[in-house]
Amino acid sequence: MTALELVSLLTQAIYVAIFLVVSASLLREPTRSRLNMTLFFGAITFAIAQSRLLAALGVGPVELVSDIAGVLVLAMPYFLLRLVSDFAHVPTVAKRAAEAGLVVAAATLIATQGTLAPAAVVALVAYFALVAAYCAIAFVRAARRSTGVTRRRMEAVAAGTLLLGAAIVVAGLRPLLPSGLAGVPSGLTQVLALASAVAYVAGFAPPPIIRRAWQEPELRAFLRRAASLPRLPDTPAIVRALEEGAGSTLGARAAIGLYEPSRNALLFQDPHGVLPNEVGPSRFLAWRVFETQRAEYYADATRAHPDLAGAYRGHSVASLLIAPISAGAQRLGALEAYTDHQPVFSEDDLELVRLLADQAAVILESRALIDGAARVRAHEEAARLKEDFISAAAHDLKTPLTTLVAQAQFLERRAQSDPSAPADISGLRRIVQEARRLSSLVVELLDASRIEQGRLVGEREPVDLVELAREVARRDGYRTHRVKVFADAPVVGSYDPRRIEQVLENLVENAVKYSPESSEVRIGVAQRNGQAFVDVSDEGIGIPPEDLARVFDRFHRGSNVDDRRFAGMGLGLFICRGIVEQHGGRMWVESRVGTGSTFHVELPAEPRS
Amino acid sequence: MDDDQSIVEVVSQILVAEGHEVVTAGNGAEALTLVDGEQLVLLDMRMPVLDGWGFARQFRAAGKRAPIIVMTAAENARRWAEEIGADGYLAKPFEIDALIAAVERHARGPR
Repeated sequence: MTALELVSLLTQAIYVAIFLVVSASLLREPTRSRLNMTLFFGAITFAIAQSRLLAALGVGPVELVSDIAGVLVLAMPYFLLRLVSDFAHVPTVAKRAAEAGLVVAAATLIATQGTLAPAAVVALVAYFALVAAYCAIAFVRAARRSTGVTRRRMEAVAAGTLLLGAAIVVAGLRPLLPSGLAGVPSGLTQVLALASAVAYVAGFAPPPIIRRAWQEPELRAFLRRAASLPRLPDTPAIVRALEEGAGSTLGARAAIGLYEPSRNALLFQDPHGVLPNEVGPSRFLAWRVFETQRAEYYADATRAHPDLAGAYRGHSVASLLIAPISAGAQRLGALEAYTDHQPVFSEDDLELVRLLADQAAVILESRALIDGAARVRAHEEAARLKEDFISAAAHDLKTPLTTLVAQAQFLERRAQSDPSAPADISGLRRIVQEARRLSSLVVELLDASRIEQGRLVGEREPVDLVELAREVARRDGYRTHRVKVFADAPVVGSYDPRRIEQVLENLVENAVKYSPESSEVRIGVAQRNGQAFVDVSDEGIGIPPEDLARVFDRFHRGSNVDDRRFAGMGLGLFICRGIVEQHGGRMWVESRVGTGSTFHVELPAEPRS
Repeated sequence: MDDDQSIVEVVSQILVAEGHEVVTAGNGAEALTLVDGEQLVLLDMRMPVLDGWGFARQFRAAGKRAPIIVMTAAENARRWAEEIGADGYLAKPFEIDALIAAVERHARGPR
């Protein structure tokens, strides 16, 4: 066997092998593109088989059989053109021209007995080469639109087609060359044919190792992005990033639907607005995949789901790739990729979309773990705060109780040992005073716990803040200070009068408590831009900067506050802020140590009539 | 000493009636400047300026040996007493018998 014969045998073996692979895939799941691939390789396989068979039988060429083989080989570029038209637009003119050319070529071949005229040979070769070149260009264009394996495969098909065309050109023109040069084209034809066969293997039946190597760059890029995804601020942001990554990896648009158990539905946030936002148990393709947990490729979305055909067509969704996103037995959702054209090599994309869906599952799971840990931490923090609140409350309640118990027992003892002794008025007064203190602490505690439930503010009615401020300023308890109200006109809003009065009282009480005797406490009431403003200023000890941020916290008391003189639980401002906020307002403070403090209250007001 | 004025008044009233001499203070710093030669310290823990821990440290650092009894409304009265090496503790609110008994036990006797 000569080297040329070996090359020829190898080439033929490869073509037959590809035929077997594509026809097997056609039998497994028939699609139009698989049919065209099978026809393409079937044609050449028939030509190879007939010549080998006849040679083996020792029979010379049979006219009819070799005519059929010749026509089939001539039809190869036409089958390729049909394949192209499955996934890309081929003008009808081009299709009709190729068909007409094929009919003419076949007729020429069959009509001719024996050797073809040189002009006919040139015409046949030109036809083959032209259609093959057209297909090759179409494949190159389609390759540019795709990514990863699909792109490489299309490029390989384009290369194989060009090489095959070249082999046919060289072989066809051989009889026209001077006899001295005949040996060169024969060898060249064989080499070109082998090269085209190899390119076709890579294109139509790539071995897994090549497939993986081609897939790697895209996957690697995706994984690089993926590593940082679980740390994104929230799940929607992660889903968006995953969709973008999967889309660019697949060369398609991608959307992720997450399963929401409470609604028993997949929730999409498809930025392209193609998919419905919520997909429950139904014939929707995404739900089907989610339920069966099997990745699916729908070559023709309109056919797979006729109800939505209009929507799919309207958004130019031709084919869909859907893979379930699951972590172990837990079903998280589905990844859906869709394109406006049918991918030729869907099986690769299906594998890729499955890989991406698995990655998405890992990322979403780690996010869920992070969220879970944060929830546990928040829960522990809440429990700790509650514990702190209770123990602080208990501490503050025990203080007046201590005096009450000790004083009462002391009086009891005195009365027992000396029944005729006069009543200890100051001791009795102390009991009354501490009982009152205890009772107001209990009220404070109840208010503070009501704030948390948002039940502090009762029925609202129109209240004039100026009038309310004047009333508070007149109270006997503030005789030691000059409490003055500054206002131009009534400021009316819809408030719970008792609670707003409590806020004013508390602020004035604080101002009086923390500023020197006979100093001035100013209450300013004004209305600006539809909002009511109440400011209470004092000339007191002020609040150190380090305490400013925490004055409204529960149980916080200024570090420069002398607890002996200023009794209280440190709940007053916490309650005030709660009342103001539940009225839709806000509260803040400005202060300088040694100069004084101003507490600001902003509340929604009624428009001035 | 206690930062709550009412408690200071009631406790000193009771102890004076029992025949003790009492000096009161509202916080640790004040107490350190006030007294000398005391036989027993009744100490509140949470106080402004100088709290119970700070007072106990400075009191002992000054070489004073008088027993200290912690009075606190906190739940961990016993642990706090141990922390500062106190000789006893009274959990608020306490019975006046407990107060008197603790003082009698630890003080070397009325002056």
